[in-house]
Amino acid sequence: MMSNEENFIEINGVSKNFGEVVAVDNVDLAIKKGELFSILGASGSGKTTLLRILAGLEIPSQGSILIDGVDMTSVSPYDRPVNIMFQNYALFPHMSVFDNIAYGLKKEGMEKESIQEKVERMLALVKLEGYEKRKPNQLSGGQSQRVALARSLIKEPKVLLLDEPMAALDKKLRQSTQFELMDIHDELGITFVIVTHDQEEAMTLSDRIAIMEEGQFVQIGSPNLIYENPKSKFVADFLGNINLLEATITEQNDSQIVVNCAALGGELKFNQTEQSDALEMTVALRPEKVVIEKSKPTNDQQSHVKGIVEDFGYFGNLSIYRVRTESGHMIQVSKQNRDRVEQSIKWEDEVYLSWENDSLMLLGE
Amino acid sequence: MSGLLVKTNNSIRENLWRYFIVAIPYIWLLLFFLAPFVIVFKISLADPIIAQPPFTPLFNQGSDGGFSIYTTFDNFLYLFQDSLYFVTYLNSVKLAFIATLFTLLIGYPIAYGIARSPQPTRNILLLLVVIPFWISFLLRVYSWMGILKTNGLINGFLLWLGVIDQPLELLYTDTAVYIGMVYSYLPYMILPLYANLVKLDIRLLEAASDLGAKKWQGFVDVTLPLSMPGIIAGCLLVFIPAIGEYVIPALLGGADTLMIGRVLFDEFFLNRDWPVASAVAIVLLLLLVLPIVYFQKKQAQETSGAAA
Repeated sequence: MMSNEENFIEINGVSKNFGEVVAVDNVDLAIKKGELFSILGASGSGKTTLLRILAGLEIPSQGSILIDGVDMTSVSPYDRPVNIMFQNYALFPHMSVFDNIAYGLKKEGMEKESIQEKVERMLALVKLEGYEKRKPNQLSGGQSQRVALARSLIKEPKVLLLDEPMAALDKKLRQSTQFELMDIHDELGITFVIVTHDQEEAMTLSDRIAIMEEGQFVQIGSPNLIYENPKSKFVADFLGNINLLEATITEQNDSQIVVNCAALGGELKFNQTEQSDALEMTVALRPEKVVIEKSKPTNDQQSHVKGIVEDFGYFGNLSIYRVRTESGHMIQVSKQNRDRVEQSIKWEDEVYLSWENDSLMLLGE
Repeated sequence: MSGLLVKTNNSIRENLWRYFIVAIPYIWLLLFFLAPFVIVFKISLADPIIAQPPFTPLFNQGSDGGFSIYTTFDNFLYLFQDSLYFVTYLNSVKLAFIATLFTLLIGYPIAYGIARSPQPTRNILLLLVVIPFWISFLLRVYSWMGILKTNGLINGFLLWLGVIDQPLELLYTDTAVYIGMVYSYLPYMILPLYANLVKLDIRLLEAASDLGAKKWQGFVDVTLPLSMPGIIAGCLLVFIPAIGEYVIPALLGGADTLMIGRVLFDEFFLNRDWPVASAVAIVLLLLLVLPIVYFQKKQAQETSGAAA
């Protein structure tokens, strides 16, 4: 039999309609074995429906799902080698932590001693030793999340699905939990599919991200690729902060496109072989790729514009400036605070903004 | 200074207001529960006499002007001496228990079905459960007489089908009492069960299913234990009125359908032995209240134990 390492999970032309509403629209996706894969999208983008289809809690209207080479499209949830961790954990409130975690094994009909042993090992993995007798209402949010994780891992599924695993945790806890989740993933080697609306979470955790909008994937790739080379204005805007500046094509041929971008001080050249039908384009520039300084840049090769600081936010590790350029456009700039000195650039200061030309991205709609 | 004074005045007024609000239910219970109970208890300690009222007074004014108190426990002793009362109590408990069981068995699936149906249908179904309350309870029990009697609807239908060639003896039997009780008390079972089941988080069932539970296993492991408070509430709401029921056994039951409500009625209105009737009522109350108090205490302990 062919190895399914590359196409461990195969989603082929899957659609799901709820009456008139199309939640998932003809989606194709292949997830590798052992991958930590995130589906990122706003609420209503269809990401949770897709996850529920993988879990078997929804039957797709069209298309098929293969896991490890076996067709799972209409297999019941209790017969799938897949477990899911629900958004608000869905712990059984009338059962102790031990019984919650042991539930999956009990349904398999495993002997008591083996269950005891496995649950203890799982409690150690999620660092919850000594909590087995507690009821879910006696646990903190972070502890509940660990119980839910342990419960969904105990059957050693081929795939673990996580629906917004961090959404109910506060920010500090979320960060430490993210790293723990990655450790557990590395230790067990199980394929993780995470659904989230939190782009930071997706970026930190994932090997690859699929960005979903209106039931379809708009871009799939590594966090780095999607961040630095977004395919569209939507993706660029969705992932992190970005300046989206209007531009008009003035000239295009087989090798390059020339646009006029008023905000960045005039003509810009892009080496791009793909020609555009529309003349209205967007030039995208990440705030951290802009250098802000009070004196004129000495390097004449670098492009720059002049402006006035209109807003200024101090975040400790970095400062964010909103600069009104001479042409009247607003550009956001972030600056790492490397020195322990008072902020030298403040409101109403006249500043120069400069950037490397290859930081600029030309995007269509 | 004056500001401080105004503040204390306000807080006193606020406190009075609070006491008043809290006092309302206590006053209600005092007037309409405790006071009648004390009166009935007083009567149960008297001797029956042929007079108006038909029992001896508690306080007697002697010819010398001094007061004396007259009480007797004869009525309570009498309840234990005549086995009729013991048998009747037992039979009431049996009838109420079986009726409650059937009400639960019929009511649970109905409540479950309503709780699982889509929102607009749900309201219509709930309305259908409540609609019988718009007709007098007595009338509804009377109509069951029409359905159950020898030439009534059921017998007519079965004869017409040819299933039977002799009409069945339905009316004036224990079966008729069960039918009447289950029918009458079904809404009291359905409503608390519905209120409980509609709150059940569907994701818990999905989680059970995801972890390997078949549909029925999910029901047994999750739905049933979580609906226990609803089951208990519904059973108490049916069992308590059923045990003292008078109208249903009087109208649908036979001469041998012994229920404490009927005995109570007979003692009061046929024998005009108010003291014994009062004693019967007091014992019935104790029989009902003590287990319920014990049960609630145990449940409270369990919940506080879980929270500790």
